[in-house]
Amino acid sequence: MNKLDILKLAHRNLWRRKARTILTVVGVMIGTTAIVVMLSLGIGLKESQRKSMERWGDLNMIRVQQGINFDREGKPLGEAKKLDDAAVAEIKAIEGVVAVSPAYESGGEAKFGRKRGHIQLIGIDPEEMVNLEFTASLGRLLKAGDRNVMVVGSQVINNFRDEAEIRKMQRGMMFYEGPRRLERKDPGEMMDQRIAMEIRNNSNHEKKRIFNFQVVGVLEGEFKQHAYQAYAPIEDIKRMRKFMMEGTQNGGGDPRMMREIAMKTGGEVRATSSRRPMQGYDPDDYNFLLVRTEDVTKTREVSDILRERGYNTYSIADQLEGIEKTSRTIQAILGGIGGITLLVAAIGITNTMIMSIYERTKEIGIMKVIGATFQDIHAMFLAEAGLIGLMGGTIGLGLSYLVSYIINHFSRNFMSRGLPPGEEVMGISLIPPYLALFAMAFAVLIGVIAGLYPANRAVRLSPINAIRNE
Amino acid sequence: MAAFIEIKNLTKKYRLGQEIITALDNVNLSIAQGEFLCILGTSGSGKTTLLHIMAGLEKPVRGEVLVKGVSLTKMKEKDMAYFRRKHMGFIFQSYNLIPTLTAVENVALPLIFDGVEKKEREKRARDLLIQLGLKERLKNKPTEMSGGQQQRVSIARALVNNPKIIFADEPTGNLDSKTTKEIMDILYERVKASGVTLIMVTHDLDLAHYADRVIHMVDGQITKIVEKGVSA
Ligand SMILES: Nc1ncnc2c1ncn2[C@@H]1O[C@H](COP(=O)(O)OP(=O)(O)O)[C@@H](O)[C@H]1O
Ligand SMILES: [Mg+2]
Repeated sequence: MNKLDILKLAHRNLWRRKARTILTVVGVMIGTTAIVVMLSLGIGLKESQRKSMERWGDLNMIRVQQGINFDREGKPLGEAKKLDDAAVAEIKAIEGVVAVSPAYESGGEAKFGRKRGHIQLIGIDPEEMVNLEFTASLGRLLKAGDRNVMVVGSQVINNFRDEAEIRKMQRGMMFYEGPRRLERKDPGEMMDQRIAMEIRNNSNHEKKRIFNFQVVGVLEGEFKQHAYQAYAPIEDIKRMRKFMMEGTQNGGGDPRMMREIAMKTGGEVRATSSRRPMQGYDPDDYNFLLVRTEDVTKTREVSDILRERGYNTYSIADQLEGIEKTSRTIQAILGGIGGITLLVAAIGITNTMIMSIYERTKEIGIMKVIGATFQDIHAMFLAEAGLIGLMGGTIGLGLSYLVSYIINHFSRNFMSRGLPPGEEVMGISLIPPYLALFAMAFAVLIGVIAGLYPANRAVRLSPINAIRNE
Repeated sequence: MAAFIEIKNLTKKYRLGQEIITALDNVNLSIAQGEFLCILGTSGSGKTTLLHIMAGLEKPVRGEVLVKGVSLTKMKEKDMAYFRRKHMGFIFQSYNLIPTLTAVENVALPLIFDGVEKKEREKRARDLLIQLGLKERLKNKPTEMSGGQQQRVSIARALVNNPKIIFADEPTGNLDSKTTKEIMDILYERVKASGVTLIMVTHDLDLAHYADRVIHMVDGQITKIVEKGVSA
């Protein structure tokens, strides 16, 4: 028996009992819609979490920090790795790593034009900046041979105020209205300006020196972490640090940094005032290393490798993993709810098919007498059940798109509240093509499985009983 | 010369609660190719049972049915379905057409199972129906036809696969005498023209004269065999 004929016959037989078939199809439709909408919510949730993580930072960036790793109980794992040029070379050699730059972190009072403010300054290898996939919205990035220049994040300007603004603030006339509501200043204002950074010596706070930088570029991205930072060639920062640490008894070290390290390593803050330098830390070690990987998967792989080797790493991708785990659980729960609905629909199909076989006992017998094989009968009934699945699945999928649209339409206002302006509002219900395909295939599969038992019954029917009842 | 169909020591019993009914009791019979055989007997004499066993639809308790030396009683279900589809046709008292299919589709149904293409099978069905005088009823469903018309559709269905044997179980049992004659004339003409072997079961003595040979059955046994031309 040829396949097309089986389908045509099945289709025909289905419409003999229109109301019953329609009701069964409606069951599958509701089941499919439930499963698709539930899963679409899970997917939408995961996607929006990923988007917000991306907004905040790069998924293929790893920060290798000073200090050591801890296990779950908080016990240190191995010894802290030194962050020096050897470490940079070692990490560069790992597969999947695109670029590595050492970094020093520094900060201080700064002035440009008539404005005063604070700058968090990070010194990196200027040559690597482009490889770290920074992009400049104005001007350019750092490049090899740069000296006394900086590239600022787009929010840095908001840390600067002129005399009038400062007076206003001091008089308490400016209420704190939250960073979002604050009037944004144009970062372009800083372009080509000379920034004067005032650095004080750590052991003698009266001793200070001005370091001048020229702004050559503004970084793209208003919401990423780097929007609040400025980047300068690492050699410039080294000079700043050298001045800062001149005359420090324990061989230098930014006290804030030391405190930070002490906290990270679980040690005591006392270390800062101690005459002994903290073991294992060289003040010339880099504060952290920036590692750029090929993609998110590589980020995780590289992070794992680094942690195994004793490096202390941080990446947004790590958090993403946890979030993904949570959203997988949520998805499983949501999918389960949809699954139950579809299970009920499957029972409906089985029921319909059994009824239909009762009604058609005689007909099945006749078909067997005139030459239908077991397989023919089996295939015919499976095809009927599968068709119910297919129809329910198709209509259900259509309905899912509608429901998804409605959900997104009504949740849009609500969702856009937390988002920065200009950011595309994403739907909370997403139906990617693979979900659509999966739903259809699943509906058909459910139909066929639901049809197995009735089809076997039809096969077992005796043709004699069917034709003897005359 | 070996017979076309050979029936040897056929016995069939049914269990009905505590009772055991012997529907066939050691039946022996040879049928020649192209023969029109009539099995005559009162209700309950075992005619239908004999027919079913000959068609491989039921298995006997004992005995054997051979068609051209091939044992149908030992054949597997799947091979039997294939054998019926290729070599046998069936006509029933209550026509047994599929209610949802048109005349053409009902006639073409055995060919669907045989995997014959739609165009081909529908042409064959149409041609047969026109030959049987149903030109105006090709697209009609069984419920839209008279008994005689339905039986003609069923004859066409039995003929469509060019079978070697046609089994007819009380083919005129539901028809009035005028239609009975019409149907019998058509059936007779068809089998004689095609050379098909026809085994017809009836309790109507008036139909016996169409047959080459009449077998009389009583209580599952053959009691008398009457050759053509010899009046009963
Ligand atoms: N499935 C069955 N179960 C029990 N008894 C049966 C069954 N089929 C037929 N019989 C019995 O076998 C005998 C022969 O039946 P059947 O061959 O149908 O006779 P006929 O066709 O000559 O009327 C009858 O007594 C009938 O009641
Ligand atoms: Mg009978």
